[in-house]
Amino acid sequence: MTIENVSRRKFIKQSGMAVGGLWLGIALPNVAMAKIGLATEAVFNPNAFIHIATNGDTLIYCGRCEMGQGISTALPSAVADELEADWSRVSIKQADGNEELYGPQATGGSASIRVMYIPMREAGAAAKAMLIAAAAKKWQVSAKDCYADSHFVINRTDNSKLSYGELASLAADMPVPENVELKAKADYKFIGKDLARHNQGDIVNGKLTYGVDTKMPGLKYAAVVHCPVFEGKLKSLDKTAALAMKGVEAVVEIPRMEVPFGSIGGVGVVADNTWTAQQAIKKLVIEWDLGPNKNYDTKAYKAQLVKNVESPAEKAAERGDIEQAFANAKHKISATYTGGHLSHSPMEPNASVVWVQENSCEVWAATQSPADIQKVLAQYLGREPKDILVHVTMAGGAFGRKFKCDYVQEAAALSKAVNAPVQLTWSREEDTRTGYYHSINAQHIEAAIDEEGNVTAWLHRAAFMPIASLFNGQVDRAPATSLSDIFNHPFGIQNVRTETGEAKRHTRIGWYRAVYAIFYGFAFGTFADEMANKVGKDTLTLLNNIYDNNKDPKQAIQVRRSKGALALAAEKSKWFSRDKLPENQGIGIAVHYSFETYVAMAVLVEVNGDDIKVLEVDCAVDCGQVLNVDSATAQMEGAVVMATALSLRTEIVFRDGAVVNSNFHNYPVLRINEMPKVRAHFIDNGDKPTGLGEPGLGPFPAALSNAVFAASGKRYRDLPFKPSTV
Amino acid sequence: MAQTVNINGKSYEIDVDGSMPLLWFLRDKLELTGTKFGCGMAVCGACTVHLDGQATRSCVIPVSVVAGKSITTIEGLSENHDHPLQKAWLKNKVPQCGYCQAGQIMNAASFLSQNPTPTPEEIDTAMQGNICRCGTYQRIKVAISEAALELGKEV
Ligand code: FES
Ligand code: FES
Repeated sequence: MTIENVSRRKFIKQSGMAVGGLWLGIALPNVAMAKIGLATEAVFNPNAFIHIATNGDTLIYCGRCEMGQGISTALPSAVADELEADWSRVSIKQADGNEELYGPQATGGSASIRVMYIPMREAGAAAKAMLIAAAAKKWQVSAKDCYADSHFVINRTDNSKLSYGELASLAADMPVPENVELKAKADYKFIGKDLARHNQGDIVNGKLTYGVDTKMPGLKYAAVVHCPVFEGKLKSLDKTAALAMKGVEAVVEIPRMEVPFGSIGGVGVVADNTWTAQQAIKKLVIEWDLGPNKNYDTKAYKAQLVKNVESPAEKAAERGDIEQAFANAKHKISATYTGGHLSHSPMEPNASVVWVQENSCEVWAATQSPADIQKVLAQYLGREPKDILVHVTMAGGAFGRKFKCDYVQEAAALSKAVNAPVQLTWSREEDTRTGYYHSINAQHIEAAIDEEGNVTAWLHRAAFMPIASLFNGQVDRAPATSLSDIFNHPFGIQNVRTETGEAKRHTRIGWYRAVYAIFYGFAFGTFADEMANKVGKDTLTLLNNIYDNNKDPKQAIQVRRSKGALALAAEKSKWFSRDKLPENQGIGIAVHYSFETYVAMAVLVEVNGDDIKVLEVDCAVDCGQVLNVDSATAQMEGAVVMATALSLRTEIVFRDGAVVNSNFHNYPVLRINEMPKVRAHFIDNGDKPTGLGEPGLGPFPAALSNAVFAASGKRYRDLPFKPSTV
Repeated sequence: MAQTVNINGKSYEIDVDGSMPLLWFLRDKLELTGTKFGCGMAVCGACTVHLDGQATRSCVIPVSVVAGKSITTIEGLSENHDHPLQKAWLKNKVPQCGYCQAGQIMNAASFLSQNPTPTPEEIDTAMQGNICRCGTYQRIKVAISEAALELGKEV
């Protein structure tokens, strides 16, 4: 990591940021970025900035994208803690998308906290040290005689004080300290506490602007319709009726841009308001050439995936000797699990404003990856990425969808066509039908269990359309690396073979919040319960037994932390008093490790006939140091809400190549009357903090399946358990 | 004479096609963007405003229908953003992404004005039409109950 004093650097002025005072830039080491697949060249690319103005106002530029996960509060609060800042003097600004200035900004993989936490704290500590050095110089005392508290440096020898504002310019002349000491946990003021999100006031007043809310003089509004089938094309278009509508300015063909995050292809309408554009879309007479995927049918495809995993597939990895272990087994048990496509469906549909001009291109977008916007638009317009200026707005939810900038590229196409700034807002129907989908999947597990009830062998086949198929249509199965979460699972079974089954691409895959953890967590957690039933143990005992048998020293930490999370979920829930539950209630437990975080859940359900009601969920979370207890708890609440819907009923269904669902009436996400009581419990072990945006989804579906089984004896192995009819 | 509609205490001329839903009149013509678009078919509640005090889905109500009537949007719910619901929302740190919250608050405000002492079940029923994809429901329930108590004191 590099922290650089950039107070005098030219780009500060050029980028229109406030001049004067102390400016620090924070750049991450490329190793850290490479780890999460975001490496760039070795130049000083600050990922964040701290500015202390001469009046003391402290501004923290956050380069990561905010979509409701609280990152734009959590990271700055870590800076402020080390800086000994007065939180009321700190404000937070979402940085523009500018790789040259901020370095990689893609926000996903629950990586922000993992990668940025220590650097942000060190930067805060460095700024504090420079302010102290400035004060010491002014007072002609040793820095040791000074300390910082709440936006002041205080002179121990005579208790005199200088404010950060008074010191800012002087501090700008101080060298950045080589080594800084971070605060001890006991001294944290903001870290691990429950600061409110910095923008919640604007939210409840209706003032916060999202991607859909950008306004500017001369703005035109647009709507779009896409070919309903992936890789289909426009055959004929009659735009007469649409063009005849008052307020309609242009009807524009948008060909498919054959890069992964480019438009799927369709027709756009530009008008003087969004509604007119939406109405005009309905007046278009379009014939599509549906292309090679026109027979895609998820029901048939899922059945095929099941076949593909219930027979030998391509080997991904192997250790030990599973044949031998199966030969010696007392029990053999097997099961097959499936899951459907999912649409991210954030409440804010895809929307952005793009203004393409001859010498500039400016974008205002809710996005998880401004750099991808720069890349795709540069390619589309034949310009350099650095010439695409991206203003990142607040996202009204994203869940993985806003990583892909097809909607921005379409807005660029429309802006180019009408030579004006264009705001394109996708309808909910287009969002539901022509998005990127979490992959449909099937898994088959066979396990061997010995005399003493130890699990000795594990054969695991998985088949799902991989993300790689988005980049290359020839990829017909998940690569071995996508199965490494199975092979390296903390169960650490001695004899393991993983195999990847065929899964040809028929649509655009774009992972949903939690990625593989949704279906791997489901298979591992449910299968553990099935094994426990087979050998007549309870699931917690069986899981502990599996973990205890894992003697791999490299997995010792994972074993300890998985068990710790399980124990806490059991203790906090009604697990140990489950015998006393009413007849129709049951409790299920599962643990899953993903994104370096351990989450165990105990789910209490009531089952009446066909009706499953989730009553209580206890989440035990080991994410190392918790940065903000309140927003960490909110992440668990949100994960439970999403996971409940995808476990019970939501699924994207394709028939004749096209998605059948269209809006929230037939993609029924969870509503308030179905909200279970969610309690989050944190194992605050002071380890380095890990991600939280996604790991809450992993254990839930299995814990729910196990709970329903406990309550009713009925086993659900397919996600969703009871698909809503579309 | 062109028709007018009163929005947050101000009168506006309806200078668009009368079949345009109120939502788009607010958002694209008046640039009052606090009211959000979520579904366009009255199934998500993001666009909720008050029509003569009653919670209404602005995405399906033509602007001609509200001529001569009074509309309140999130921007006009309270003068100093101090409606008991807004305060309870902040205290309970309800919002995540926040996109649905204007609709949630507007729906809850209309509900509490009709039922100042709701049971948890009544809150569920009243708020069922408002989706929050981030999953803030648990906090919404608590915030509404607290705001109801607060409103009770004010009377
Ligand atoms: S946008 Fe009106 S209810 Fe969804
Ligand atoms: S807070 Fe994000 S949709 Fe409700």
